[in-house]
Parts: sequence; structure tokens; C-alpha cells
Amino acid sequence: MLTAPTLAQIESIVHARIRAVLAERAGEVGRLSGADKLSATLGLSSLDLAFLVADLEAELGVDPFAKLVSITSVRSVDDLVRAYQQAFFPELQLRGEDDAVAAAVKRAHTRRARRERS
Amino acid sequence: MPQSRKVALVSGGSRGLGAELVSGFLDRRYGVATLSRTKTPFITDMLRARRRGHFHWSAVDGRDHEALRAFVKEVGERLGRIDVLVNNAGIAMEGILSTMRTSEIVEAVQVNLTAALVLTQACSRLMLRQGSGCIVNISSVNAIRGHSGVAVYSATKAALDGMTRSLARELGPRKIRVNSVAPGYFDSDMVSHMAEEQKQRIARRTPLGRLARIDEVASAVHFLTSEQASFITGQTLVVDGGITC
Repeated sequence: MLTAPTLAQIESIVHARIRAVLAERAGEVGRLSGADKLSATLGLSSLDLAFLVADLEAELGVDPFAKLVSITSVRSVDDLVRAYQQAFFPELQLRGEDDAVAAAVKRAHTRRARRERS
Repeated sequence: MPQSRKVALVSGGSRGLGAELVSGFLDRRYGVATLSRTKTPFITDMLRARRRGHFHWSAVDGRDHEALRAFVKEVGERLGRIDVLVNNAGIAMEGILSTMRTSEIVEAVQVNLTAALVLTQACSRLMLRQGSGCIVNISSVNAIRGHSGVAVYSATKAALDGMTRSLARELGPRKIRVNSVAPGYFDSDMVSHMAEEQKQRIARRTPLGRLARIDEVASAVHFLTSEQASFITGQTLVVDGGITC
């Protein structure tokens, strides 16, 4: 990917790759929720997650788990999405310290992305 | 230049066993990538002779993790895939542990072990996406039997064997095989410092009565990376003329 993706694009790409992994295993895949637990809800193994990270690195050109984020902190679909969003938008790292500020930053990015699309 | 032929990455392919493996994989019509700290006459010859995009070399210091990762990325882009990784690069480190400099211990661990882990991590990502791959770690009989004066070297090689077994379990479900080859003493730069008497003593203790030829060690690697070894993973193949039996 030559230009930095928007937050919404990152979310969409991560969801698509998760669905692809699930589809490879079980065929039909329903709607994903951000709160879905990668292991407990979706049944992804550590190796599935490693595959996902390799796949996303190839698609997005970044690996947030090399230095930025610990893979053990990723439990849900949203956690995974956020890790990649942080790789492109480091200011989102505020989330752990101040969720409200980070959420505001995320909303601002979403608004900006919407403006750019229209 | 992505290609249809299989691709092997051999660390430390500028001399000795690494160079033998590079030649062997090229003969078997693999695309081959190798890294070493310096360009040897062998590398110069290979670069001159293999002009059609099937051979790639870069000067990389195994202690530079970012450079190792960048090399793997470059190989993936140039050759399109990585089917085989041979963690061959290593340094001999001899001396009584209690009198060894800490910097020597650290260097041996970095070159013999950490570099292999970093290379394997980077290559395994490509292999995971491919859904296939084969990794061979060059271990040593020193990982199996204790010998005075090689505690650090033995530790790094035994660690490689541990990595082999764990990774075989970890990556097996994605059809990636991981094995070790543990050579005994063979004619190479690593034994060139030995006195002739010392080599003869080793030969006398070896049931087959001699040191290995380098091609005999390379053959074990080629076997493990071949289809003939398609159900072998997590194993250490000892190529030592029987010295550890």
C-alpha cells in the first residue's frame, strides 16, 4: 500500500483478513464484531494469528508487533485493528492512558476520512 | 525477479559448508540467496556466473537484526518466495569458559543463535503465507556430546536443536518442516586451525575412520529439504561417521 490508509480502511482490511482465515477453516463466515475474542469466540489459534500478522504485514507493509505492541495484549478483533491503526497513527497510543482522548482522535480521523471521500 | 523455481536462503554461504550448499541448491535448479559479512572469491564467481536472476548475495552482519530482516524482505521481493532456509552461518568459539571474555560469549550467541532466530522469524512469515517451507539448522555434534573448551559453541548449537524441535511443532500445522543437521568434524575452515595430529586423533576415534567430506554433510541438508524427507520434522540428523554412537 503506497499511501497511508485511513482508520476505516485499516479496520476493513483487518476484518477481511480475519474473515479469510476463518473461511479457509470453516467455509461460510458471519458478521464480525469488534468485541469478538480472537481465540475464545472465533477459535483462532496462535498460529492462525501469526499467519494473520504475516498476511497483514504483506498487505499493509507494517508489523506493529515488532516493537510497538505486544501480541499478548491482543485479545479481540478491535485490539488487532487498533494495533495496526496505532502503527499508522502513533497518537492513538494514548488510548491506554486516556481512552476519551484517543476516542476523540479516532473520531477526528474518521471525520477526516469521510471528508476526503466526499 | 519473481520466479517459478524454488528458492533457498542459506546464511553464511560465502565459504565452507555454506558455499557447498549454495552450489548444490543452484545445481538442483533453486533460486539461491545468501548473506555473509564479506564477499569471497566464491561469491564473486557466483555473481559472475549466475546472471539470470537466480543468485542473490548481500553483505550482512548477522548481528544486525534489521539488516537480516531487510535481507529476507529483499529476497522475497526479488525471488518471489522462500522455500528453504538453512541457518548455516556460525563462528567457532573455543576456550575455557572461565577465562573467556564476555564479549566473545555474546558474539557467539549473537552470530550462532540470535541471528538464526531472527532469520527464521522473518522467513517463517513468508512460509506461513505460502503454506509450505523447510528449515534446516546446522547444529553440531558438540550439541550432543560434551567436549572441553567448547561450552559456548555447544550451548548455541544445542539451543538450535531446541529451536528445531519446538518450531517443528509450532509450524507443522502449516506444512513447514524444521530439522537440524549435526555434523561431526569435517574438512572446513572451522577445523583448519587444528594440528594434523589432532585431526588424526579424531579420525581414529571415529568408527568410519576419517573426518567427513563437506559434500557428505551437504547431502544430509539436501535430503532433508527434498520431497524424500516430506514426513520428517523436528529431528536432528547426525552426520559424524559414528563418533557419537
